[in-house]
Amino acid sequence: MGSPCNMHEAFTVFPFWEARGRRNDFHRGLRSPRVLTNGEHVKKHLLTAGAGVLATAMLLSACSPNNGADSSDEGGSGNQDAEVKVMWNQPFFSMNNESNTGNATANSNLVYMMNDSFKYYDPDLKLQENEGFGKIEKVSDDPLKVKYTIGDKAKWSDGTPYSAADLVLAWGARSGNFNTKDADKASDDEGNVKKQKGENVVFNAADPQVARIKDFPEISSDNKEVTFSYPKPFADWEANLALTDGGLPAHIVAKKALGTDDAQKGNDAVLKAFKDKDNKSLTKIANTWNTGFDFTKLPSDKDLLVTTGPYEMTEYKENQYVTLTRRDNYEGDRKPNIKKVTVRYNEDPTAAVQALQNGEVDAIQPQATADILKQVQGIDGVKTDTGDDATYEHVDLAMANGGPFDPKTYGGDAAKAKKVRQAFLKAMPREKIVNDIIKPLNDSAKVRNSFIQVPGSPSYDQIVKENGIEQMYGQQDLEGAKKLLQEASASKPKVRVMYAKDNARRQQEFQLIKEAGDQAGFEVVDGGDAQWSEHLPDTSRYDASLFGWQSTSTTVTESEANFTSTGQNNFGKYSNKDVDKLYDQLGQELDTGKQAELEGQIEKHLVDDAFGITLFQFPSITSYREQLSGIDNITVAPTLFWNYYEWKMQ
Amino acid sequence: MIKFLAKRIASSVLVLIVVTFLLYVLTDLAIDPLQELRTSTSPNKEADMAARTQQLHLDVPSPLRYLWWLGGVGGCFIGRCNLGSSWKTHQTVLDMLPGAVGTSLKLVFAATIVAILIGVVVGLISALRQYTTFDYVITFVTFLMYSLPVFWVAVLLKQYGSISFNNYLQHPRPNWPLIIVISIAAGLFWMGAMAGSLRRRLINLAAATVITFAALTYVFTSGWLQHPGLGLVGSLVIALGAAVLVTHLSTGLNNRRSLYAALTTAVVMGGAVYYGMQWFYHFYNPTVWLIALLTILAIAVGVGIGLAFGGPDKWQSARTAGIVALIAGVVIFIDQAMQYWAKYSKMSQISGRPIRTIGAGEPGLEGNFWIHTVDNYTHLILPSIALILISFATYTRYTRGSMLEVMNQDYIRTARAKGLSERTVIMRHAMRNALLPLAAVVPVDLMTIIGGAVMTETVFGWSGMGKMFADGLHQADIDPIMAYILIVGILSILANVVADFVYGILDPRIRVTA
Repeated sequence: MGSPCNMHEAFTVFPFWEARGRRNDFHRGLRSPRVLTNGEHVKKHLLTAGAGVLATAMLLSACSPNNGADSSDEGGSGNQDAEVKVMWNQPFFSMNNESNTGNATANSNLVYMMNDSFKYYDPDLKLQENEGFGKIEKVSDDPLKVKYTIGDKAKWSDGTPYSAADLVLAWGARSGNFNTKDADKASDDEGNVKKQKGENVVFNAADPQVARIKDFPEISSDNKEVTFSYPKPFADWEANLALTDGGLPAHIVAKKALGTDDAQKGNDAVLKAFKDKDNKSLTKIANTWNTGFDFTKLPSDKDLLVTTGPYEMTEYKENQYVTLTRRDNYEGDRKPNIKKVTVRYNEDPTAAVQALQNGEVDAIQPQATADILKQVQGIDGVKTDTGDDATYEHVDLAMANGGPFDPKTYGGDAAKAKKVRQAFLKAMPREKIVNDIIKPLNDSAKVRNSFIQVPGSPSYDQIVKENGIEQMYGQQDLEGAKKLLQEASASKPKVRVMYAKDNARRQQEFQLIKEAGDQAGFEVVDGGDAQWSEHLPDTSRYDASLFGWQSTSTTVTESEANFTSTGQNNFGKYSNKDVDKLYDQLGQELDTGKQAELEGQIEKHLVDDAFGITLFQFPSITSYREQLSGIDNITVAPTLFWNYYEWKMQ
Repeated sequence: MIKFLAKRIASSVLVLIVVTFLLYVLTDLAIDPLQELRTSTSPNKEADMAARTQQLHLDVPSPLRYLWWLGGVGGCFIGRCNLGSSWKTHQTVLDMLPGAVGTSLKLVFAATIVAILIGVVVGLISALRQYTTFDYVITFVTFLMYSLPVFWVAVLLKQYGSISFNNYLQHPRPNWPLIIVISIAAGLFWMGAMAGSLRRRLINLAAATVITFAALTYVFTSGWLQHPGLGLVGSLVIALGAAVLVTHLSTGLNNRRSLYAALTTAVVMGGAVYYGMQWFYHFYNPTVWLIALLTILAIAVGVGIGLAFGGPDKWQSARTAGIVALIAGVVIFIDQAMQYWAKYSKMSQISGRPIRTIGAGEPGLEGNFWIHTVDNYTHLILPSIALILISFATYTRYTRGSMLEVMNQDYIRTARAKGLSERTVIMRHAMRNALLPLAAVVPVDLMTIIGGAVMTETVFGWSGMGKMFADGLHQADIDPIMAYILIVGILSILANVVADFVYGILDPRIRVTA
């Protein structure tokens, strides 16, 4: 113990004795003997006095108070009291994870732990039921009717039961169906949706999947069953309004917006407002919903922290960390072992690794590079899992830019253009790219063979079987490529490949592609561009683009924008009527088996038409202390947080 | 004077407008708020992009948006400040600033002061030992430090200063080769700094090496690092040592009144007050304000003792004793914090690894004032060292250069010729003039510390001004970036004006006129 009574401590001050003596000689090099003599003289005098003082001091120090003595042993890290600290890159800023501005992983990870939801993803990306919170079941196919049954254990942390009002608020707000004015026309100079007055309802959200539900639902008398009906069949009904959280607490929103003080009255007011389309009340509700739950440090208003899940936010230091603490009055099914989860914020991957090594955090998910992987693997007592990330790398071809892949170049001969495209894709060194660049980061990395589904998702294998990509482009085929080029009588077509210039990994990929393309008889031109993402829609700049798409869910309708003729992400202007039709069908197909079949058919077209090619899933690195078990990363949000209730600290 | 000020301000405002305009337009070209949406596969991507374009007025040319922004800044003069807000978090920039400025101040203030002190001292010694090996080594080392990239220094500091050091604390096994190398290095340093005849130098070398070795051996083998503390004896000895040293530098040991005043202060503060404070802190948990008050009180005690010794030079004695009292007070404070070190180390959040690599404080730490003080220091130490290593070089070079210039001037020769002691020549005649050029550098440095340290803050996870700037760039959020630029711009202009005035006050040869 750091007792001031300790005799030994006199030793520690040796340098100071010495310093004094030496300081006297300090200027000796600059001739000044007089000072020295006087110094010596004085010293003699003082030594006697000094000895006396010190002797007294030693005697006195024997009876000083012991200030720093630890009265209790703080190291009580029993299993039930354990704390887990996770490093994340971006700070939390809103409890409303569903508005246009609040929708970010930084929010959804924490919102997920603080709230229960009807469903969640498991490691196989299958939707799992959270029955303690409620059930979602289809009650009729035509018209499609889906019943949400809320469980008895579903309660807000202030004791109010989760009820129909909360679900209706989530639907009404997220769909944007009640908006009387476009969200984007109602924003102010700072880019926030302005507080609206009068009867201008503006919920800052427009989720097209939720928006498919047009009518106010049927609600049981006990407010525990809500039945939504869809005007058209909808494939992804199971995931609708079911993931991450159950929305904001309606009774709190009502309290803030409408001034109701009783939870029951608040819920009723919200239901009534949506049912009667009472625009005056809805305007106020929307104002609260849009920004009322945004904060970047722990709010003094505890109402904003009312949640349905096992954790509640107990500390939030701006830009530094958030601490979630296990709630005692949580009744649901997902009771966690860990008492406190703290999320600390830092973007720097090396800083994350060193913080893990120094025990300041227990789990990290740094940006995956070879250096970082080497560093985390070198740490004792730390486990590292490598795996897939939500983003996948792919090459898209521009088909309407007057370039080598555009039929116009060949006088409108679509067959010729297709052969050139096929030749380019056949030359693609997919295996080599994965082996050289991704394998070092993720042992189990494989070439991704589906345009639509993430490897490991339930329908991936079936789709790959049907799309024929392995027969067509499974092996790099330089001879085949040369032959196809000859058939198309295209000599040395110039292909400009655009990629992120400042991204080292993409530079390497490009080098491999260039090497292979040049061998196959193309002239591959370096189109590296720092502003590549801005230039994606402008195909006059490139013929092939190399970049990543980030999947946010496994819903079947998500990929529509990439491949349909008018799709937002279809930059290359690919157009196939059959694909468009199949997507229409897919959007209304309710049977998951049939969905996979349709997806396979769509992909078959994409492969046959030489739309482009998929390369690999981005690698991810998850490192955590050995004492922490249960960490298991998944590729979609909420990534490693998905099974927080299974974490255990030994 | 007023004319000068008016002119300066007018031209500064113009410069500021041009600078902010250029940076606004350039930043806008460089960032792309839509980037994350462009590669999204979200079904409502188009609506998102349209909404964001509309929200941020990305369809309006940036010079026009600059004017809007400028309007908001202009509002500050009529009490309606509007520096915009972060579109990502909805937080207004005005709301972000206090926290960021506070964090930056906390991080950079101490580091800057220490860097100035070390830089000046090393620069002075280096000048006095011009063209010796010592001088060359110092020059080499300072330039080396100066050119080190901070992110690299930070990684090394974390690896050795934190991770390895904490490993040692958990499994104390002294690293003998390292201790020996450090001891010899310290010996060589003191030998160089002391100069003198060959025999004298060898004695210095041997003495300094042996003493450093003994001290390090004690620190690393006795468990002192796990349970540090100075104790009453240590406190007294340090105070007495400080008394002699300060007197020597300030008035010379010949001034007996001054010396006795300093020694009395040392005994009173380092002994009696130290002992009293042990009991005081045992019963009272202090606050920052109490500590500040006690510091002032300590200086007052020293000054009082100095004055009590009377004599014709009583204010000199008072000054000397005041400084000694301050040093002794700091020692009491440090000792008290040290006493809580072991308790802090054992807390469950720290679990035996007290030197931290990230953040400004440990999440969820509960404890009294001292625990939080220790927590502050364990987080501050690494970034501070990084900042000091890199910035003290400038001060060293400035001081050395101007000291050399001054030492070669006629009046120094005159001073020596009339028989003044070397201490008086250096401390009173040379040093004061040599420090003049620093008056131009230090205010600028002190004021711009509010701007924080972009790299250091980012690597060590301190969310100050620099991090706000870096995050703004990362997230394509122009308003925080502009706030940073505006504040740093205003401060550097202000600092330059202040430097002009300080110069004018300190150096009678310079007059501040239009």
